Amino acid sequence: MFTAARLGLRVNSSSSSVIIRRSLAATVKATTLAGEEAYEAAIKPTRAIPKLTDVLIVGGGPAGLTLAAGIKTSPELSNLSTVLVDAGDLQNKVGSFYHKPPEWYTNRVVSLTPKSLHFLEDRIGVKLMNERIQPYDGLYITDGCSNGTLDLEKDSMLYMVEILNIQSSLLNKISQMSFARESLNILDKVKVESIEYTNPTDPTSWPIVTLSNGEVYKTRLLVGADGFNSPVRKFSNLYSRGWAYNTYGLVATMKLKYQPFKIRGWQRFLPTGPIAHLPLPGDNATLVWSTGGESLSKLLLSIKPEQFAILVNAAFVLDDIDMQYYYKKLHDNAITTEELQKDVDCRIEQVFESKGIDKMDDTFIDEHYPPIVSEIIDNTRARFPLRYSHADKYVTDRIALVGDAAHTTHPLAGQGLNMGQGDVESLVNTLEKATLRGLDIGSLLALEPFWAERYPFNNVRLGMADKLHKLYHTSWSPIVGLRTLGINLTNKFDPVKDGIIDTLAGGQFNAD
Amino acid sequence: MLQRTQFLKRILTLNRLNRIQLRCSSTGTTSDEVSHFESLASTWWDVNGSQAILHRMNLARLDFVQRIIRNSIALNEEPTKASQDDVYIPGYNYKAFFPKEVSNAVSQDIRMTASSKLQKMKLNVLDVGCGGGILSESMGRLPFIKHVTGIDLAPDCITVAKSHARSDPLLQGKVSYHVKSLENVKGKFDIVTCFEMLEHVDHPEAILNHAWKRLNKEGILFISTINKDLVSWFTTIFVAENILGIVPRGTHHLSKYVNSKDIVQWFQKNEGSKYELLDLKGTMFIPIKGWVEHDCPNVGNYIMAIRKE
Repeated sequence: MFTAARLGLRVNSSSSSVIIRRSLAATVKATTLAGEEAYEAAIKPTRAIPKLTDVLIVGGGPAGLTLAAGIKTSPELSNLSTVLVDAGDLQNKVGSFYHKPPEWYTNRVVSLTPKSLHFLEDRIGVKLMNERIQPYDGLYITDGCSNGTLDLEKDSMLYMVEILNIQSSLLNKISQMSFARESLNILDKVKVESIEYTNPTDPTSWPIVTLSNGEVYKTRLLVGADGFNSPVRKFSNLYSRGWAYNTYGLVATMKLKYQPFKIRGWQRFLPTGPIAHLPLPGDNATLVWSTGGESLSKLLLSIKPEQFAILVNAAFVLDDIDMQYYYKKLHDNAITTEELQKDVDCRIEQVFESKGIDKMDDTFIDEHYPPIVSEIIDNTRARFPLRYSHADKYVTDRIALVGDAAHTTHPLAGQGLNMGQGDVESLVNTLEKATLRGLDIGSLLALEPFWAERYPFNNVRLGMADKLHKLYHTSWSPIVGLRTLGINLTNKFDPVKDGIIDTLAGGQFNAD
Repeated sequence: MLQRTQFLKRILTLNRLNRIQLRCSSTGTTSDEVSHFESLASTWWDVNGSQAILHRMNLARLDFVQRIIRNSIALNEEPTKASQDDVYIPGYNYKAFFPKEVSNAVSQDIRMTASSKLQKMKLNVLDVGCGGGILSESMGRLPFIKHVTGIDLAPDCITVAKSHARSDPLLQGKVSYHVKSLENVKGKFDIVTCFEMLEHVDHPEAILNHAWKRLNKEGILFISTINKDLVSWFTTIFVAENILGIVPRGTHHLSKYVNSKDIVQWFQKNEGSKYELLDLKGTMFIPIKGWVEHDCPNVGNYIMAIRKE
C-alpha cells in the first residue's frame, strides 16, 4: 500500500515535471513574440507558475553557502527570500559532518587566510570545528633544482581547514538561525535543468530557473557559485579566459612519524610542479602535489600507499633525476616497496653527506626538511585538473558570479577558496549598500561595484600564481640561476618578505 | 519721511504684484522643457544611456536621504529632569573616548535602534518631477516608505515610469505616477523631493511654495539643483553637454539655475522660524568614484534637506 502510494506519487511528480519542461519549450517561441504576458498565460494551465524569489544561488560549496548565510545574517538583507540549489547531498553527507566527524581528516583541505576566517567567524558568526583546524606559523619554500629558499615566518599566518568543516559549519549556523519559513530554502540533490529570461529579448527581465525536481523559480538575482563549469556563467554569456595547465593536483591525508615541533607549511618546487606538505592537528598532515602530465598523476594514484609515502619523503630532499628514476621503476613494476625504501634512504643519506649535514643532527634537519610521512590514509588520494581561468566580468543584468565560477587558479599560493570568500564578502557588502539605496539588487547598477572591487584584486593573485607556476616549471639552468638569485635575495630582505606574507594572508586588514 | 512711505508703498505694490504673478503662474514649465524630456523617455532606464549620469547621481541622493532620515530619528524619549541625572549621554565624538569594543557596541546599538524605529515608520513621499521614475523606484523599495507619488509634466516619461515599475513585484502598490503639475496635487506628505527639477522651471519660488504646502508637520523637503555660476556653466553645460556629451544637449540653461543662498533666503523671508535647514552639501561628479559630497554648497551642484517645524 505504502509502496504503491509512493510509486503513484513518483509517477505523478515526474510526469508533471515533463509537462513543465515541454510547456517551457513551447512557450519560448510565444515569449519572443509577445513577451511576459504570453509567457505567464501559457505557463498557467500547467500550474508551474514560477515562484518568485529575490536571490537564487546555484551551488552549495563554500562560496554558495557562505553567501546564503551572509545574506541571512545581514540586518539589511535578511528579508530577501533566498533559494540555494545544489546537486549533492548537503543535508546528510555534508551536514552530518558537523555532529559526527570521521576520525581521520578528509582530503579536501584548504589554507584559510585570517581575513577569510575573520569574515566567517566574526561577521557571519559561524562556529567552525576548531579542534579540526590547524593554524600554522610560516611557510618554508624551496627550489627543487637549486638551494633557493624562502623562509616566511609569522604566528598564525594561515589556517588549514577541511572544506567539509567550512560547509557543515555553515549549514549548522543556518539551521540554528531563526527566520521565516521559505525565507531561505536549501534544495539539495537538485539540478538546474534550464535557465531562461522571462523575456528573451530583454536581459534585464528576471531569469526563470527550472529545477530537476519540477520546481520553477523566477529570481531577481541569480548567483553562480557553481564552480569552473558554471552553467550560470554559460547562460550569462560572460566570457571566461584561461588555459589548462596539463597538470593534476594530487591530494592525500598523511600520518607523520612524529608530531612536528615547529608547525609550518612546506613547499618545494619540482620541475614537475610544486609539492606542498601542510600541517593538520596532531601528527596529521595534508598533501597537495602538482604532478605534470596525465601519466605521472595516474601512476602516483595507482602505486601502494606505502610506496607513495616514501616518494613524498623523497620529493622534499632528492633531485628530479632521482625521482624520475623511481617513477620509471615503479611504472615498470621493477622495484618492491622494501627496495624502494632502502634506495631512497640511501640516496637521502648521500644528499645529506654531500651537503655536510650530520644525519643525526635532528634540529638542523627538522629546521630544513618537513616531518617524515609514515603512512597515507586509505582512500584519501585523489586528483583534480589544474587550470587558470578568469571571467572578463563577474556581473551582468540579474547575474553575479562568485568563486570558481569567476576564476580558477593553481593551488600553489593557496588562494582559490580565499578569493571566493573575498568575493562573497564583497557581494554581501555591495548588496547591503544597494538595499540602503533602494536599488533593484539584480540591476547592473547595483552589482557593478562588486565586480569593480574584486576583479583587480583577484587578477593580481591569479597572475601571481600563474607566473610562479611558469617560472618554476622549468629546470633550464639560466632560469634556475636567476630565480634562485631572486628568491635568496628576497629571503634576506624582510620588508619584501612581509609584503609576501601579507599577500598570502589575505591583504592588510584590521581585525576590529 | 514722505520718501520713505513712498518707498514702502512701492515695495508693497511690488509684493502684491509678485503675489498676483504667483497666483497666475503655474508650477509648470515651458513646452520646450517638456518636449526635451519627452524625447529622452525611451532611453531613461538604460543605466549607460542618456540618463547614465543621473542614475549615478541617484546613488548619492539616496545616501543623502538615508543619512538625513536616520539622523532625524529621535533614538530616545525626551529625557526628563530626573532621568537626565543618572543617564550618561556620550558626546557625539564618543569614538575618541571609549575603547574600540565599547564604541563599536555603541554605534551598533545606535544603528539597530535607528533601524527598528525606521521599520515602524511608514512615510509618504511626493516626487516632484519624477521623470522616468529613477528616484521614485528607489524610494519605493525602502522598507520605511509607505507610498511614493511621482508627478511629471512629460506624459512619455510617466508612461516609461509606469511600465518600468511593473517589472518589479516589490513596487506593486508602492509607487504611482501622474501627469500633473504640483499645484494640482492634493493631500499631505512626509517627504517631498525636488531633485534636479528647480533648474527646469520658470518660477522656482512657486515650486518651493507649493512643495512646502504639501508637507506634513516635521516633514522633510529635499532639494537638489545647480548654482547659477561660472563653475556650473563650465561643468554641467560646457563639459558635460558640449565636450563629453554625457548629458543630452539642451538639458540645462544657465539662466534657470538657482543659487543655494536664494533658496535659504526664500525660507528665511517666507517661513521665518518655521523651518530647519538639516543639511546643505555641494555635490560633484568624479569619474570612477561617482558623485561625492563636499562642503562648498555655493558652487556647482548642491543638495539640501529642510524640515518643517
